[in-house]
Amino acid sequence: MTLVVGVDIGNSTTEACAAEIGEDGLITYLAGALARTTGVKGTTENVAGVVEVVRDALAAAGRAPADLDTILINEATPVISGLAMETITETIITESTMIGHNPDTPGGAGLGVGTTVSLGELPGRAPGSPVICVVGAGVDYERAAGDINAATARGVPVTGAIVHGDDANLIANRLRRPIPVVDEVTLVEKVPLGMPAAVEVAEPGRTIRTLSNSYGIATVFQLDPEQTRMIAPVARALVGNRSAVVVRTPTGDITDRRIPAGSLTLIGETARRVVKVDAGAEEIMATLRGVRPLADAAGEPGTHVGGMFARVRDTMSELTAMPVGEVRIKDVLAVDTFVPQRVTGGLAGEFALENAVALAAMVRTSRGPMERLAARLRAELGVRVLIGGVEADMAVLGALTTPGVGRPVAILDLGGGSTDAAVTTARGQVESVHLAGAGDLVTSLIDSELGLENPGLAEEIKKFPLAKAESFFHIRMEDGTARFFDEPLPPDAFARVLVLTDTGMHPIPTRHTMEKIRQVRRAAKERVFVVNALRALEQVAPRGNVRQIGFVVVLGGSALDFEIPDMIAQAVAEFGIVSGTGNIRGTEGPRNAVATGLVAHYTAARTAEEPAHALG
Amino acid sequence: MLSGDLHDRRADREKRTRPTVVVRYRPVPANRRCLRELGAGLEEEGVPFRAEPVGEDSTARELAYGAALASDLDVGVGVDAAGNTCVHHAKLPPEVPALAGPPSAARGMGHNAARLVVGIPFKTIDQ
Ligand SMILES: Nc1ncnc2c1ncn2[C@@H]1O[C@H](COP(=O)(O)OP(=O)(O)OP(=O)(O)O)[C@@H](O)[C@H]1O
Ligand SMILES: [Mg+2]
Repeated sequence: MTLVVGVDIGNSTTEACAAEIGEDGLITYLAGALARTTGVKGTTENVAGVVEVVRDALAAAGRAPADLDTILINEATPVISGLAMETITETIITESTMIGHNPDTPGGAGLGVGTTVSLGELPGRAPGSPVICVVGAGVDYERAAGDINAATARGVPVTGAIVHGDDANLIANRLRRPIPVVDEVTLVEKVPLGMPAAVEVAEPGRTIRTLSNSYGIATVFQLDPEQTRMIAPVARALVGNRSAVVVRTPTGDITDRRIPAGSLTLIGETARRVVKVDAGAEEIMATLRGVRPLADAAGEPGTHVGGMFARVRDTMSELTAMPVGEVRIKDVLAVDTFVPQRVTGGLAGEFALENAVALAAMVRTSRGPMERLAARLRAELGVRVLIGGVEADMAVLGALTTPGVGRPVAILDLGGGSTDAAVTTARGQVESVHLAGAGDLVTSLIDSELGLENPGLAEEIKKFPLAKAESFFHIRMEDGTARFFDEPLPPDAFARVLVLTDTGMHPIPTRHTMEKIRQVRRAAKERVFVVNALRALEQVAPRGNVRQIGFVVVLGGSALDFEIPDMIAQAVAEFGIVSGTGNIRGTEGPRNAVATGLVAHYTAARTAEEPAHALG
Repeated sequence: MLSGDLHDRRADREKRTRPTVVVRYRPVPANRRCLRELGAGLEEEGVPFRAEPVGEDSTARELAYGAALASDLDVGVGVDAAGNTCVHHAKLPPEVPALAGPPSAARGMGHNAARLVVGIPFKTIDQ
């Protein structure tokens, strides 16, 4: 009997599999363990994480560390992935021409048109032409209502109001003549005075009709066709709001500027193409397909993408002592996304959804400092350390321990930084590929699209289902079922969308509906994992024909996801492929494939009396 | 016949009290301002309320819980002699109020008492 532990060092997770090998070559699997990878994969920093999983696996197996014969580690080549987001549009309002936000409680209803006048100037205003009253910070609602009523009584028609505080209904309720009131305008002091303006508030449950329509604005301000064309982006920006203000300033303008996002140079083995980042993900990926296999890539200096490539190259060069100029980008994944960004020149903290392209890139070497890592491990634990076979081959061997799986088969390893695929033929030949973009990209898409600025919460939204707190004692789940509690929910959860994590319910502090959050979550997973699964299978399939692959086993941390494996299964079913989540050794689920494969490989090699490549 | 029937029902409805949030407060002069702010918060959110002075000395929480039980909307607000406010719901345990705050938070407490009725997330209160 020989006690061994197979250890797989991944970018995010280090996994172990403890087993005993009999003289007859029979393997008895004892236990598995996992820990966070310490440092960058394939470097000596990994020692701490490896020591931890080996100890845990032995403890779980009920074996003493002294009985350990050999540690088997994978050929962990460093893979470094980087993420960058390039915003390609920007909404700028010059001269503050509009306020388009959704205060919870605007007052009154209808459309008011007139010249903007501050509350203080109302008494001095000559009767006659209609005005829009601007109420600054700190003005009490009774005074505001009183002054407006007085002006109206004097023959100054006040047709609408723009208010700093959350006072719209309080003011509207005290007016003798009802007018629309837009409130919570944080930068009310920036509203230009003496200018023609329109205020619109829709009835509860409705959205504005006039100011969200270019011809509506044109009618209100008597614009000619050229001016109407200029104002069109304002109307577009106001669509879907319950209240809005448009102030017509002589030079007022709102533009949809396209930001030069630079270009991406993709260098294949025989071709070299340049693609503009703002052409979008589809164009970038099509260009990439055209030059494949990718030999290297470069981004324009001074852009986010250029910076990301430089970072990735620097890190890899530091790790492997390879000159920066020799580090090659091996894959790129582009994803179309949008980011809520504060509108430059907005008066109420408005956000506009801007288009962006997210990019993941990956570098990989075959020159990892593995030997040094193995030597350090040997010193630390005082046992033999062997560097096992290629990661993809090991993953396939591990996958084959899933009940019902046999050759030929393909695996998809869905990790944090990369998506890997391998296929094995009936004769055991293995073809593999490593692609940029995986779980971490999904998390960052969720974070930016929902405007969370909280990667921890985004990670939870990715992993766990949603619910809405409907009372202090019950929540409604995504699928419509209700759950009841004996203890009241905390006040900060009241009426909020919650994410139901394994450590409790966490409120999501945004105004997004549950449906919206769900849609963003699912779209992010589709755009990364479905795209990458198809891309990966296409590259390992015999003669590039995905239909030749009959069975796919999905592995890795992201295969634990509650919907990703189903999305992939559905997408590949189109090609007649059966896809399912792996269950390593019938017990481990989609985890531990490489660690298990290392043990299987070592055993087979020993039995065949092929001397393994021993160290130290 | 029919019209008479309708009329009766309408009169019936009029007699019943309108469902409101109930605000119970200690009638000390300093609470006038607090009550005005509470009312403003509730009114801005469009939720009706009725205010009832209370003689015996109780904590804001006790007043709020009693008020919640008396409210057809199950939501009550209590204001103690120092102007501290508390928002309660009839379905919550008496010792676990929904929210509590100092006198300076009265406006926000009015907003949030209303939101408890309407079923939208609470407003962050600036005091
Ligand atoms: N229960 C879960 N549901 C969804 N995703 C999960 C779950 N648990 C872990 N993940 C995701 O799995 C990813 C890490 O996967 P894994 O541990 O397989 O990576 P790795 O193999 O170490 O790294 P890489 O593949 O990048 O080299 C992370 O993105 C993490 O969010
Ligand atoms: Mg992995």
